[in-house]
Parts: sequence; structure tokens; C-alpha cells
Amino acid sequence: MGELAELLTYYNVIFLLKGMGTTFALSALGCILGGLFGTALAVARLTTGPLTLPLRALALVFTEFFRRVPFLVTLMLCFFIFQFSGLDVSTFTVGCVTVVLIGTAFLAEIVRAGLQSVHPNQWHAAETMNFTLLQTIRYVVLPQAWTVILPPAFGFFILFIKDSALASQIGVIELTYVGKVFNNRGFSAGVSFGVILVAYFMLSYPLSRLGAKLEKKLGSSRTR
Amino acid sequence: MDYTFQYGQVWPYLPYLLKGAWLSLQIAFLAFCGGMLIGTACAAVKTFGSGWMRHGVNAYVVFFVNTPQLVQIYFLYFALPDMGIFLSSYMAVLLGMTLNAGAYLTEIQRAGFESRRQSEMEAAEVLGFSRWQQIRYVILPHVAKVLFPPLSNHYILMTLGTSMAAIFGVEELTGRAFNINSETFRSLEVFSIVAVIYVVVTLVASVLLALFGRFVFRAKMRVV
Repeated sequence: MGELAELLTYYNVIFLLKGMGTTFALSALGCILGGLFGTALAVARLTTGPLTLPLRALALVFTEFFRRVPFLVTLMLCFFIFQFSGLDVSTFTVGCVTVVLIGTAFLAEIVRAGLQSVHPNQWHAAETMNFTLLQTIRYVVLPQAWTVILPPAFGFFILFIKDSALASQIGVIELTYVGKVFNNRGFSAGVSFGVILVAYFMLSYPLSRLGAKLEKKLGSSRTR
Repeated sequence: MDYTFQYGQVWPYLPYLLKGAWLSLQIAFLAFCGGMLIGTACAAVKTFGSGWMRHGVNAYVVFFVNTPQLVQIYFLYFALPDMGIFLSSYMAVLLGMTLNAGAYLTEIQRAGFESRRQSEMEAAEVLGFSRWQQIRYVILPHVAKVLFPPLSNHYILMTLGTSMAAIFGVEELTGRAFNINSETFRSLEVFSIVAVIYVVVTLVASVLLALFGRFVFRAKMRVV
């Protein structure tokens, strides 16, 4: 207990909060940008006709690839690609690019499932009214699908808070890295990583409660 | 960016990498089996148990679901020796993954337990099924059908999750990639090959699981 009090000095707490902020920023960025790109991929996969076939194939390969490669391996690939490209970017940027790539792949699948949850009749009706694909999605499908998309997307965001712990491996100063620094400063592993575990919990638990509430609320409003 | 890929230096290491992939699968399988045992027991407690037992299980699940697996393993690997418990890196990773999987699988299995319907069991009772027959012919097929898809999904995620064993020096697929990387310095080549191995391994596993689920449990699963 004495050691814990020693650890939680003013500057260490600031450092810890900064780490929490970075972890949050990483997963938020991954989800927001990943959501945008993921929606684009999901729409690309819904197109028909031979003209967009390469687009569909590309979207399929992208989602399947990044959903089936571990975070750590994707991180290392991004890390070395940036290294060899000669661009002088921060490790935070490398971490961001990684989470955006993975977020895009996973959210594309979530958005696609959401779009497909809308009854085919709606799609056909919109087509009959001469809506283009984008118009159909914008005015007919998305207003109905977002309640299906949002809960799993939010769950994915919370999952990402925990997965981004691996970004500490390339030196992004987020929560896990803060724990390693505490440990290196001579605090025992139990105390330093214990504090980090609690910090993650404090970040993730309220969000997961919020997610559960969201799911309940949106789920009940869904009538079909 | 002028970078020439030289896969020639890395190809001879392919058998070495594949042996690592085998170890990855082994860790995932063992952790999944352990997690299933914990998960089934905890889900049973959550569904049928008394007050304080349910609270205990809840605390376990909520804590492990809301903190990153990586930090959990850090804690086991670095903090337990202070308490006189020495785990090899392999054991620490396996234990961490098992405990983590146990929490997630509890949540998944609870949903399955709750999907059984009272009317189904009453119908079976009316037909003169004994308790064991009810479980064997009515509850189990139903629960297995509901549970198999999310469980196999989690199994694939766990296979990817084994990559973090590399951080603790376990020589599984990613760990061996790091080894080759430090021997040959062909980082992009090594990690791209490893990424493809992960994709192939999980793709094969997904297809096999989907076929198994379809024919054995009649679960609705998409093959690919």
C-alpha cells in the first residue's frame, strides 16, 4: 500500500492520465476513420455489375486479410513499411494507421451486416422509384440500419481500447507503455501493472455499460 | 520509396515458421479448452447459482472482459514471481489466455443457457423423457446450435490473440518471425509471409468449423 501511495504522485498521475488519453484517442480515431472507410468498403461490396468487380474483389480481400492477421503482425508490417519509406512519422501515427486499417476491415463487416438487415423489399422499392445505389443507402437503408450497426460498432470500439495495448510494443506512449515505464522506474510489477489494469477498467467499464444501455434502447425501438 | 523485396533469404525458414504456426494453434486450442471449462462452470453458476456466487462470477467476468489480455499476462508474468509463483513464459501466456477466454466464454455460454425454452422442456417431460434424455435430446442440440457460431468465432479470435505470446518470448508463429527478423533483417518479407500464414490458417479453420457446425449441429453458418 505504501508503494502505491509512492507511485501516485502528482506527475505520475498526470502521466497516467495522458496515457489514458492516448489509448482513448487511438481507439476513437480507429473507430471514426475506420467507420468511414468501412462504410465505403461495405457499399463497394454491395455494388453489382462487371464494371465494379475489381472494386468488390479488393474490398473482399481487404476485409478478409485484415480481419485474419493479428494486431501485432499488422502493427509490425506498418512499422517497417513506414521505416523503409523514409517518412519521418511518430510511432503514434504508425499506431493510428494500424488501428484504422484493422478498424476499417472489422467495421466494414459490421456495416455490411447492418445494411443487409434491411428487408430486401425496401431495396427493391427504392430501385423501383429510380433511386441510385447511394441514394438508396442514404435515404432508405441507413435510417433503418443504423440502430443495427451502432451497438456492435460501439462494442468494437471498447474492444479496441484493449487491443490497442499492443501499440506499446513499438513505443506509442499509451496506458500499457506507462505501466512498463513505472515498472522500469523501480516500482514492483504488481503495483505498476495493477494500477494499469485498474486504469483500463475505469476507461472500459463505463463505456461498456453505456454500450449495453444503448443496445437496450435501440433494440426496443426496432420494430419490424 | 525504393525497396526491393528479397524473399529468397526468408523462404528457407518456411518449415521453421510452420512449426511455429502449429504451436500457435496448440496454445489457442489449450486456452480455448480451459476457457470452455471455466466458462461452462461460470455460466452455470450465473444461471442457476445463489446470490454471492453469482456476484463472484460477475466480478471475475467484468474484470477480465474490461482489461486487455496483454496487461493481464504482464501481471501474471512479472507480478506473480514477487509472490513466489514462478511461471514459464509459455505457462503465463497460456494461463492468461485461459482466464481471459473463460470470462468471454462465460458471457457467450450464458446467452446459450438462456436460449432454452421452458415450453420445450415441458413438452419433453410430457413425452416421458427422463431428465438425462431431456438434456441429451432436447436441450443440448438446441444449445449447441445456438452456441456453436459465436464459440467458433471466438476460437478464431483467440488464434489471432496467440500472437501476443511473442512479446513474452514464446516461439510461436509471431515469435519466430521476430527471430528470423533479427537474423536476416528482411522484416517486411518475414512479416508479410507470417501475415499470409495467419490468413490461411484461420481461413481453413473457419471453413472447417462452419462445415462442422452445419452438418453436426445444423447451425446456420456461412461457409466463407
